[in-house]
Amino acid sequence: MNDGPRCQDDAVVGPAGEHAVVSQLQSLAYERMIPLNVSLELTLECNIRCLHCYNFDRDTDGPASCAGDAASAAPELSLEEIFRVMGELRAAGTLFLSLTGGEVLSSPHLFPVLERARELNLAVQMLSNGTLLRPGVAAKLAGYRNLLGVSISLYGATPEVHDGVTQIRGSWRRTLDGAERLRAQGVAVRLKLIVMHPNAHEVAAMRALCDARGFPYLLDLTVTARHDGTSGSLAMRITELELAALYRGPLRDLIPSGNRVVDEAAFPCNCARGNCAISARGDVFPCVSVPWAAGNVRQQPFGEIWRRSPVFERIRGLKIADYAACAPCPDKAYCSRDRGAAYNASGSYTGTDPFVCTAAGLAREVAHEKETVHLPLATAAAR
Amino acid sequence: MTYKRDPGVPFQKLDEETIVVDPRTREVHLLNDTAARIWELLASSRSVDELTAALGEEYDAPAEELRASVEELLGGLGDKGLLAGSGARQRA
Repeated sequence: MNDGPRCQDDAVVGPAGEHAVVSQLQSLAYERMIPLNVSLELTLECNIRCLHCYNFDRDTDGPASCAGDAASAAPELSLEEIFRVMGELRAAGTLFLSLTGGEVLSSPHLFPVLERARELNLAVQMLSNGTLLRPGVAAKLAGYRNLLGVSISLYGATPEVHDGVTQIRGSWRRTLDGAERLRAQGVAVRLKLIVMHPNAHEVAAMRALCDARGFPYLLDLTVTARHDGTSGSLAMRITELELAALYRGPLRDLIPSGNRVVDEAAFPCNCARGNCAISARGDVFPCVSVPWAAGNVRQQPFGEIWRRSPVFERIRGLKIADYAACAPCPDKAYCSRDRGAAYNASGSYTGTDPFVCTAAGLAREVAHEKETVHLPLATAAAR
Repeated sequence: MTYKRDPGVPFQKLDEETIVVDPRTREVHLLNDTAARIWELLASSRSVDELTAALGEEYDAPAEELRASVEELLGGLGDKGLLAGSGARQRA
């Protein structure tokens, strides 16, 4: 049975993420092509201006055009439209709904959507920058039993670094205060550490901060070109030298040692099989980071797009051989296979991103370095 | 004494399987066929007798066996806080 690998953002916040039943469910969704996990972008609006934002250049007024977003000139989905789509998602088999943005807490639709999700028995997760988690908001969120958890992004171990990325002074403090406040209300919180050039020297400190405060966390090294076609965000990526230093230093423990073998049947990811994403303007994407529109929920019911879209049919039919550069690559078992990075770098779903390729090569080197056992002299002499 | 599923609990039916998410622990439960049917019946308040009788019309099994299944599932769901209704309140 295929394990149906999932994107990190879709992983359930909390201990159930490691639960065997969750893997079993993802496999079922993958095999039967059920949209079990859907990301819904409630708004493109955001109260901070991150330099690496993948939506659009936050130093401009807004997304003049979004690559692949056929509806870029259209307004964002109304609450009525979102409610209709949520009903269609439920009917299509969705259980896990990830609410994202922009900043999801800046959307006036958030609480009505949470209410509707409860009525539809959908399990909700949120991705947020945490800065708007004021006491009343945190308490109100805690009232939704179907809210499984909130993933909060952190860009540095110090205010200087984090606030430099968000371009908002005080945001580091507000993010951490918001995370603490939400956790105190009983909501599961996970910090998402976005590793990039400005914070590469703070990665160890960021992990130590999470440990000291008792927050579970995951690390994400992915910074891609933007959906509006600009690529200024790429200046925020860690350099290859920084990546090598991290893999041999603060991130070394996360790289499993030894040889890995790729499961060719599991090579394609869960995009368009168990996962998809809906943009703030209604475009349906295979995943939140791949802006390749399969249709728009304003023009077609979601179920019809899911079942019949030529884009999704093409993705579902892909075999490892269709990834021309990846198929023969000796590093593919060590590769994150980040389709968003590949799509945004190459314009092709089956393309590659040279940065991801470099990272895979480095991961292989470090895995083999870790496998090399240096016997203590005494033991060696005894043999 | 009647039982009903907590209306706020996330769940989904995928063909034969029914998935129920425990919002407190975030554990995911996969219900078997009989348990899934009981979960479906618990959309409205039902007593153990009513649930057993409803299953008796659909499954070829002795009533005592069905009643035991009903009581076992209600016990498990109640312990996890996934039920509402007078029965759930009494358990609490």
